[in-house]
Amino acid sequence: MRPVGKWLTMLGIAASLGATAAYNYFFIPPLHTFRIDDPRNFVALAVFLVWSLIVTRLVVAAREQAAEAERRRLEGEASAHLDLLRQSDAFKTSLLRAVSHDLTTPLTAIRIHTQSLKRHAVAAPELANVVNAIDDETARLHRRIDNLLTIARLEAGRFTPHPEPTPPADIFHAVRESLPLVFASRTVTIGVARDCPDAYVDPSLVLEIVVNLVENAHRASPSGTPLELSAQCVDGRVQLEVLDRGPGIPADADVAQRGLGLEIARGLTAASNGTFTLVNRQGGGAVARVELPAAVLPSVEETE
Amino acid sequence: MERELPILVVDDDPGIRESLSRELRAAGYDTITAGDGSTGLAAFRVHLPELLLTDLAMPVSDGFQLIGAVRRFSRTPIIVLSVRGAEADKIRALDLGADDFVTKPFSVPELLARVRAQLRRRGAAVASTLLQFEELAIDLERRRVTQGEREVKLTRTEFALLELLATHAGQPVLMEQIIARVWDAAPGTTHDTVRVHMSALRRKLEPDPANPRYIVTEPWIGYRFIAEPD
Repeated sequence: MRPVGKWLTMLGIAASLGATAAYNYFFIPPLHTFRIDDPRNFVALAVFLVWSLIVTRLVVAAREQAAEAERRRLEGEASAHLDLLRQSDAFKTSLLRAVSHDLTTPLTAIRIHTQSLKRHAVAAPELANVVNAIDDETARLHRRIDNLLTIARLEAGRFTPHPEPTPPADIFHAVRESLPLVFASRTVTIGVARDCPDAYVDPSLVLEIVVNLVENAHRASPSGTPLELSAQCVDGRVQLEVLDRGPGIPADADVAQRGLGLEIARGLTAASNGTFTLVNRQGGGAVARVELPAAVLPSVEETE
Repeated sequence: MERELPILVVDDDPGIRESLSRELRAAGYDTITAGDGSTGLAAFRVHLPELLLTDLAMPVSDGFQLIGAVRRFSRTPIIVLSVRGAEADKIRALDLGADDFVTKPFSVPELLARVRAQLRRRGAAVASTLLQFEELAIDLERRRVTQGEREVKLTRTEFALLELLATHAGQPVLMEQIIARVWDAAPGTTHDTVRVHMSALRRKLEPDPANPRYIVTEPWIGYRFIAEPD
């Protein structure tokens, strides 16, 4: 390993440990201490640490490969400049693919192994709870990795949104499939206005946006309070809302307090030609609102 | 019921291959495994599995080659294990003849439901003319649809759409297949034409359009009938 790589690794490990400590301090109850009361949170913390270390290793490997590619590029002939640019583009693509594959594959295996544990844990409710928590956290971690990869792809120009007319009811249906535990653990009502048109969006982006908003609302609001998802047409645009009865938006909230989910939703909404707003809800709670372009479909008459 | 034919699992990652195989056995299926496309094809020829479950991106010989090769001589159902952000790969696999896909990291119950849907379709050698999904009954012969006690009046096109999707319950139906089967590939028929008629059908069919029970869109691909037949 080159000296720079060594430095990066050490920096990465330090950052991982720091992030883990901060995660514990800010997010794991009891808050603002380094104590952990609920044993399940050890699992979350351990998974968090392991993954940040793996990500560090991957980033270092990626940098080293990039440096190596750069060296080769400099050694190459100047006349082949265009060719090399193309190679670098291809390199970005293959790097993103490799990172995606190397992160997704173990997570997929973990989830299948978890299923085996679930089968054996039916008779032991306490163990079953732990296994379900592992499964839930793994799925959450995977969604986050997907989010970050989507953003990386967008920024690297490796991914252009492919919008198509998407019925809001189908967006909500897909959200339900992605977050089965949220929907099982509290009342979630879904309303789609009858005259609401399809949204003209990239279906995978809008799914990531709404999943993040629902997950965020779920974590922010006390158990037992309901969530609402709604879609309606406002000024010719499709307005999707996620409404909760949590504490609302604290006056001095920053990203660290509100979590990464909202920032990701904000970024992906912008990439979908939409606007994102977060406001306090009348009667308590918050409203996360995403306004998206509406699809224009031809009118087809059929008499029979 | 004793099953005679195994499910062939092809994935280059041993962790996924072994754990998946174990879960399928726990669900009552026999399995055989292979680590790449060409080994998979050889295993396919020897064992003639009941269903093929394959990854797409594999070194040496990938899933696309395997699907193409298998489809030259067999109609065995194929389910693809795909990853997010690889939508084009998914569509290419379906075009090559794969029947369905799941996206990693899928949940095992989700995968088992897809497996069941494929095997059921294969087992239904004599097609019934009366399809029943919970409260929804579709009489293919009399072209009559009822939702509970209520008769659902459909136009000719809407009925044709419903018939196509319901006879492929549990699996994706591509836009191009819909245009070919329902509109006889008439020139000028676009994806938007399909969307307009599908939206009218869904409004009539779904008891609560905000919470679809029967039909959902399959992004970039087409539609999927999601209810399991009774």
